[in-house]
Order: sequence, then C-alpha cells, then structure tokens
Amino acid sequence: MKTILKTIRENIFTPWGLWLGFLSFFLLAALAAGITVFWKGLVITNLTDLVPWGLWITIDLSSIAVAAGAFSLCAIVYLFGFKRYEPIARTATFIGFTGYSMAMLALLLDIGRPDRFWKSFVYWNTHSLLWEVTMCVGLYFTVLVFEVMPIVASFEWLRKKYPRLAAKMESAHHFAPVLAVLGLMLSSLHQSSLGAVYGVIKARPVWYRPEMSVMFMFTAILAGVSLTLLASMVAARLTDKARVSDMLIERAARVLGYLMIAYLYWRFWDWLAQTYTYEPGRTEGFHLLTEGPLSFNFWIGELLFGALIPTFILLYKPAREAPLWRMLALAMIVGGVVAFRFDTNIVGFLAVVPYLPGEAIVQYTSYTPSLVEWTAGLGIIAFGLLAFSIGVKYLHVVDHRLVPSDHEVETIAVGGTVHPV
Amino acid sequence: MKNNLTRRDFIKISAVGVAAAAAGTQLLQKAEASEGPKGEHQWAMVIFQSKCTGCNQCQMACNANNDINPEMNWTKVLEAGEVNGETVYLPRPCMHCEHAPCVEVCPVGASYYRDDGIVMMDYEKCIGCRYCQVACPYDARVFNWEQFEGENPYVPQYGEPEVERRPRGVPEKCSFCYQRIDRGLSLGLTPGEDPAATPACVLVCPTHARIFGDLNDPNSQVSQALRENPSYRLRENLGTNPRVYYIPVNGTVSVEG
Repeated sequence: MKTILKTIRENIFTPWGLWLGFLSFFLLAALAAGITVFWKGLVITNLTDLVPWGLWITIDLSSIAVAAGAFSLCAIVYLFGFKRYEPIARTATFIGFTGYSMAMLALLLDIGRPDRFWKSFVYWNTHSLLWEVTMCVGLYFTVLVFEVMPIVASFEWLRKKYPRLAAKMESAHHFAPVLAVLGLMLSSLHQSSLGAVYGVIKARPVWYRPEMSVMFMFTAILAGVSLTLLASMVAARLTDKARVSDMLIERAARVLGYLMIAYLYWRFWDWLAQTYTYEPGRTEGFHLLTEGPLSFNFWIGELLFGALIPTFILLYKPAREAPLWRMLALAMIVGGVVAFRFDTNIVGFLAVVPYLPGEAIVQYTSYTPSLVEWTAGLGIIAFGLLAFSIGVKYLHVVDHRLVPSDHEVETIAVGGTVHPV
Repeated sequence: MKNNLTRRDFIKISAVGVAAAAAGTQLLQKAEASEGPKGEHQWAMVIFQSKCTGCNQCQMACNANNDINPEMNWTKVLEAGEVNGETVYLPRPCMHCEHAPCVEVCPVGASYYRDDGIVMMDYEKCIGCRYCQVACPYDARVFNWEQFEGENPYVPQYGEPEVERRPRGVPEKCSFCYQRIDRGLSLGLTPGEDPAATPACVLVCPTHARIFGDLNDPNSQVSQALRENPSYRLRENLGTNPRVYYIPVNGTVSVEG
C-alpha cells in the first residue's frame, strides 16, 4: 500500500501524471453525468420532440468520421499497395478502434432504452438505414478488434505475463489484407449510409438529397486521415515514445490537399443546387446556414477555416513543410468536418416544416445542449484522448520505425529518415 | 502469408464482394417493396373541418382512454387559418400512412403495419433511437422523456385507461384505439358504427366532426363521406398515403392564414 502511494506521489507531477489527472477529471464528471442520465432519463437533456437528436449524435457522427482514417489508410496500404504508409495505417487503425468505441458510448447515452441496445442486433428491419448502420458498426467494430489485436500484443506487460496469448494475438496480423478488404466494405458502407440516414428523410427537405451519403463518405475520409496525421505529429512532439517520419506525413498531407480540392468542388455544386427555386423547409434551412444562427459555423467553421485555409496550407509547399502550419491545417480540417456534421444534423430540426394545408410558413425552434450533455460529451472525448495516450505510451501506435509486418521495434527507416518532428 | 495482395487473392476477395452484392440486392428488393397492408378491413378516419369547433375534447378523451401524459398528445387540435372570419381547426391524429416513413426507418421493426392499415408501435421492442420521430412528416410522435407518473387528470371524466402506460424512453403515438377496434370486432360489433368499437376521439366529438370506418366497405360512413365530398390529406406530395382524410370548409381546400 505504502509503495503504491509512493509511486503515485512520485508520478503525479510528471507531465504524464498531470495529463492523466486532467483527463480523469472529465472522465469522472462524465461518469456522474452518465449515471444521472440512466437514472433520471433523457428529460435532463435539452432535447425535445422537435429536436430529438443533438450534441451526442454530433459526437457520434464525428467520432465515426475521425475513425475513417482506419479504412482509408488500410485500403491505401493493402489494396493499392502503397506500403510506405503502413506505419500510419497502424496509427489509423488504433484511432478507428477508439473512434468507434466513442461512438458506441455516445449512442448508449442517447438511446432512450440503453438496456435494450442488444435488440438492435436481434430484431432486423432491413429497410432501415439505421439497421444498416447498426450492423456495420457491430461488424466493423469486430474487424477493428482483430486489426487492433497485434497492436495490443505489443504491450510489454502482456508479452511477459502471457507470452502465448500475446503470440496468438500477434498472429492476427496475417489476416491484415483480408481484414482490410472486409473493413473497407463495411466501413465505406457505414460511412455513406450514415449520410443516407439523413438523406432519405423526405419529411425534411433540407436533408433530402442523394449527395448526403457521398458528402458523409468524403468528409469522413478527410477527417479520418487528418486526425491520424495530426495525432501522430502531436504525439511525436510530446513524447519520445512516438516516432514519426516527417517526410511520410508531409507526403500524405499533400495528397490530402488535393482531396480537399475535390471536396470543395463537390461542396460548391451541392451548395449551388440548393439555392435554386424556393422549397418550403429546404430554403429556410439553407438560410439558417448562410445567414441564420448557424452562419458562423457554416462560413467560418465549415468553409473558411474548415476547408479553404487548410487546402491552401496543404498545397503551398513552404507552409506544408513547416510542421506547425501543417498541424494547424490538419486540425482545421477535423474541426471543419465536425462543424459540417453538427450543422447538418441540427439544420434539419431547426426549420420546422409545416403540414397545415395552404400554409407555407416555416417555423423555427432552437437547441442548446444542457450541462449534462456537455459533461457527458466531453467525457467521451476525454475517453478517446486517454485511449490514444495509452496507445502511444504502451502500444507503440505511433512509431514509424516499426517494420509493419512483424510489429517488432526495430530502427529501420520507412520512406526516408526517421526523426521526431 | 505475405502482405502482398496477389491476383488470386484479389479474385477471391472480389468473388466474396459479388456474393455480398447479390445478397444486398435481395435486401434492396425487400426494402423497396414496402407495400401497404392488405387486410380484410382498412380503417380510415374522415374529419369535417366545417364541424370542428376546436373544443379539444377529442384530445382529452384520447389522453384518458390511452392513459397519456397530459403534456403529451397523440391528437392535437391546431388552428388552420380563417374562412369568412371564423377560425378553422385542423385536428391531427397519427395519419396511419400506407407508406409510413416511421415504419420504413425503424431499425428494429418496433413500428409496423397491421393488416388493417393501423401503424402500430411495439413498445417492448423499441430501443428509443427516435429515428421515427425524425422521419415523421406530421410530428405525430411524442417521446417519453420521463416516466408518466401520478394521476391522469382526464380520468374518469373523459374515460378509463384501456391500455398500459408506456415506459420511459420510447416514443408513442395514436393507434386509432386499436384496443377498442379489436375488442369490438371480437364481440361482433362494427367499428365506426358501434360506440364500443369506435376510437375515443370519434365517440366524444360533440359535433360529430370525426367519423371512422372501413374503406373496404362501400357502405361505411367514411366511404360515403369520401364519395360525396371533396377531400384532401396532409402533405400528399410526399406519397405517404395517409388514412386520415379532411373535408374542408365549404369545399375549399386551402385556407388563408
């Protein structure tokens, strides 16, 4: 007992100890909030019958988006054969696993009957996009578990204590290409059907368009790859447990810049099409984005800082080569995608489409997340940060010196010289 | 196994993909064929807007018979403009759509069609995701944000509860008083004609603004009313095919706001 206290006392004022303490604060607060929600019910949120999906759904959508680095990079490495990105794929896989765990936590909080969550796997309505999403989350999470196994197997403690189990888990990497294909199928289905969850809702014209699924897929790839690169760079700056090849990241960031151009192109036409002709509900919803309460999010969050500036940084060589500017651009892309998903979800609710005959008057409602929603939501984010920090410290999830196929720590340069940024 | 994807691997994987796509097509066909119910009876409600005085008794009777939280309503009476200086009302129960968005989107199939066209909720199956609420074009669903406890202020004046209270965490909605219809039919009664087999809101209406009956029976009150009067339904452009019909004031559909 005394020794434990001593170790705690010695470690608490290290950066790692303070970081854990900081995260624990949010985690404990969220635990309390979560228990309150299960105890009292959703009545303590600011959700209403008019705005039944709010902050937690945004966190769910965003966690899924940033998890998309996993399938994108696994596809690049195992399908298209760009082997040099394999160390980044390892990071992306771990972030994907974390992101999906976060999403499931958010959903568990959000559904009215968390005790019945298992029913969503047992009772099928194959017509429902949400059924499809549920199946993909379940199956893809299973794939991610297998993909993460070799990473967890590199945990020193596990290797020493249970060498045979660690070896078993390690051997899961033999299936990497198959898992990559499976993951690619499930994850791309999932990412796009998440958009279709909104896109098929005829009752809300501001959502009702086929591009929704494509936009969700596209933004997911952008956010997923961006966060993977950003997290790797940040980790490498903060701890020597993480080693990155800056050249590799810089190369990936350039590709991301071109993807951003494609995104902007798509976004422009999607945007323009919505300005044509008046349609009750759609036009009002669109105006909420362009000049209403969501206009700051839309112009600044989604477009200026979320898309235009980072595109410029990533395509302008001197800026891209400066790690700080590059990190800033990557963070902006993630922020832009989160803003896009927040706005997309909320805009369909804020403009209430009338059903009275001859009355084309669209009414408006509002939504501000309650304290308990924020507390629980921040806790989910803290959970993600904690998982990633543990991954960096104990599981070498950011280590570009790794020879990927055997996941042994060796000092071999991948795609150039290896040095911390 | 090396991590190189050989041509053979690729073909194998593609074959799996094709098989999955074939299975997917099957699912899609099932998904597309959301045909409406085709039972012996097809229940429908017709509402005469000229007769509705906006007294709200339908709502109270509904709350009593279905034991609904007074802050939540399955049927609402809305103001819908004026004709000749008089307020026109629009009572709005669940539309029991033939192509109901709520049934289509429910991930677990907790919302479903009965053979007689009633869109029902299985409150035991529901996980509380609220996608049905998001999808409903008529705002007909209300969510149990908390458990309804305590006395129902409309009991016993407007009726006695005939169904169980719903638990916290599930959305609920009008069921055309299926319990009255089913019990009535088993006693040999005719819903819409015999009071014991007719929805509470229809029964209580002092001006007989609501009528109820079987669309498959050409002699039912609803069939006759629809034959003899011009009628409309809400948001018909969505193709949901509601089973609640409105007969407008003076035969004019649109009202000025």
